[in-house]
Amino acid sequence: MRSRAATVTDALLAPPAGEVSGAELMALRDELGRDLAALASDLPAHESLRVDAFKVLAARRHPERCTEVDDPFAPSPGRCRRAVGAAAVARCVRGFSPGPAAAVAEVLAAGLDDVTSGPATAGSAPWWAPWYGGLAPGARAVVGAEAVTWATALLTALEWRRLPRQAVVGGRADWWQCPGSSALVLQGRADVRLHAARRPAYLVLGSGRCRDDWRVELGFPALVAALGRAAPSVPCRVVGVWPQSGQVRVLPVDITTLRATGAAVASAVGTWVDGRLEAQPVLAGR
Amino acid sequence: MVHPEAVRGPVVPAAGRGRGAPALEGGDVLERLRADGASRPAVDAALAGGLRDWLEDGLAPGVEARGDAAEPVRVSKEALNQVLVCEAHLVAARRAPRVPTVELVRGSCVDALFRQWISVGAVGDPWDDALSALEVDGDRDGVASFARALTGPRRQALEAELAEQVAQIQAHWSVPSPAWLARTQERLEVPLCGGRVVLAGVVDLVLGGPPEERASVCLVELKSGGRRLEHRGDLHFYALLETLRSGSPPFRIATYYSATGELDDEAVGDDALVSALKRTLEGATRLCRLAAGAEPARTPNPLCAWCAGLPACGPGQERAGTDVPRHGASDAPDVSPAGARR
Repeated sequence: MRSRAATVTDALLAPPAGEVSGAELMALRDELGRDLAALASDLPAHESLRVDAFKVLAARRHPERCTEVDDPFAPSPGRCRRAVGAAAVARCVRGFSPGPAAAVAEVLAAGLDDVTSGPATAGSAPWWAPWYGGLAPGARAVVGAEAVTWATALLTALEWRRLPRQAVVGGRADWWQCPGSSALVLQGRADVRLHAARRPAYLVLGSGRCRDDWRVELGFPALVAALGRAAPSVPCRVVGVWPQSGQVRVLPVDITTLRATGAAVASAVGTWVDGRLEAQPVLAGR
Repeated sequence: MVHPEAVRGPVVPAAGRGRGAPALEGGDVLERLRADGASRPAVDAALAGGLRDWLEDGLAPGVEARGDAAEPVRVSKEALNQVLVCEAHLVAARRAPRVPTVELVRGSCVDALFRQWISVGAVGDPWDDALSALEVDGDRDGVASFARALTGPRRQALEAELAEQVAQIQAHWSVPSPAWLARTQERLEVPLCGGRVVLAGVVDLVLGGPPEERASVCLVELKSGGRRLEHRGDLHFYALLETLRSGSPPFRIATYYSATGELDDEAVGDDALVSALKRTLEGATRLCRLAAGAEPARTPNPLCAWCAGLPACGPGQERAGTDVPRHGASDAPDVSPAGARR
């Protein structure tokens, strides 16, 4: 039986099928920027909206919940698992660690070192490290265990030895500031980025099961990357893996995919703006 | 990274089963669970697809009756156990507020401490470690706050019990080799019929990477209380989920009892999977029927005395001889249909 990791790796590394032209991309950027700026102009004064894949999907699945103002970021084991887990997978892939559990322990220990070694290194500490450093041992164990589970899922999803050396695990998110509105920014992220025949290809590790809107879930990071880059750097595909359900989906990225995802993002932004407006009297009364 | 198959422990005979399973000698659980790679069954590429087709064919009538827009029916081990015992019991349990009990605190704390031991290889003060683990995760069930409010002999007894169970865990479980890819509280979520039914579970410990030629995964459930017949059904349900998720059954499944140090383990054969499938199909069909608004059937059983719906259930009151439900699960009887058949 051919392993699932082999199949996923084949899909990720396959030659690109098509491409997006510079003119098509420019037209999309102009049109979507105009639409999103118009929607964002209705946001209550002094409010901003940062839209990530979670918010786009939440607007589709649970529009009634789309009223919250962007909270100050609060770390939790669930929110740390990707950051710690991706760093751990990178260590395993480079041969620095024998497995996810050891790698996660090393990543966490290094984060603590950065925080406790004094001001010289504190600035370079990962964002989760100060919070993690303040936790009791039992709570730290939960952070580590969550990261190990996440890292194991990613590490076993691919045949890493077949990937190009330049493959990036985790890495920085793509950001796109809506040109017509300083209040709106899109944030897209992928868990593995590499080049397949000189075109970027992404892998996204999904949570839970693959839903009907998986094309939006996978298309979103491609859209955000495309909006901020030149046409040759637009991802050629996004592969989605849902380890908890064992499902795999491959989304080839072309202008039709980007336009469809853009329409879904505009709809989601509209839902969030409406939710903020509806929440106004409640917020004012607090 | 070394593949898990490359690390093989010594061949150890499978444990005895049933209520007579012996307590373990120190430190041998992982060796016994991993056993010898050569004895693991070859992956049958058609098995998972066949099981999925069987389930989806069986569920189709109930799912179609609910329509496309309906919320998915989630099928967990708890829902299966409850609905197969008595549909009215399931409905009552879902409506009743979940009140923390000492048994729930003990179970949640031991789960957290086992996770800590497997992940970190060290436990300090069991009480503090367990509660801080529950709190950092948001204390969603209110278990930690309930535990913090305990005082006097109840708290002392619980602290002592946690310490004893952690000592059992430390004596029986070595920290897994990195090659075994141990992960804790792994979620399984298998959509069926286009996502309109979702089989879901959280496995306490999973060992082994994804299968290739041979089965490679071992699932372990931890129980802090006494042996119950439905535990075997729970394990088989998880084996079915893992088969549907990965395409291969686990090569071994086990329940570890941290109060006594007993390990109930078994290899997973087709018969176990088929019986789990039939049980899941029966339970999921009932859950779909209830989700469609059907009146829950009342089946008097030994659990009636503990049912939250007892005050409004005539047959249950007749069975229990009272209309006042009892609290706490520690003395509730075994009633699982799987157990009743044995």
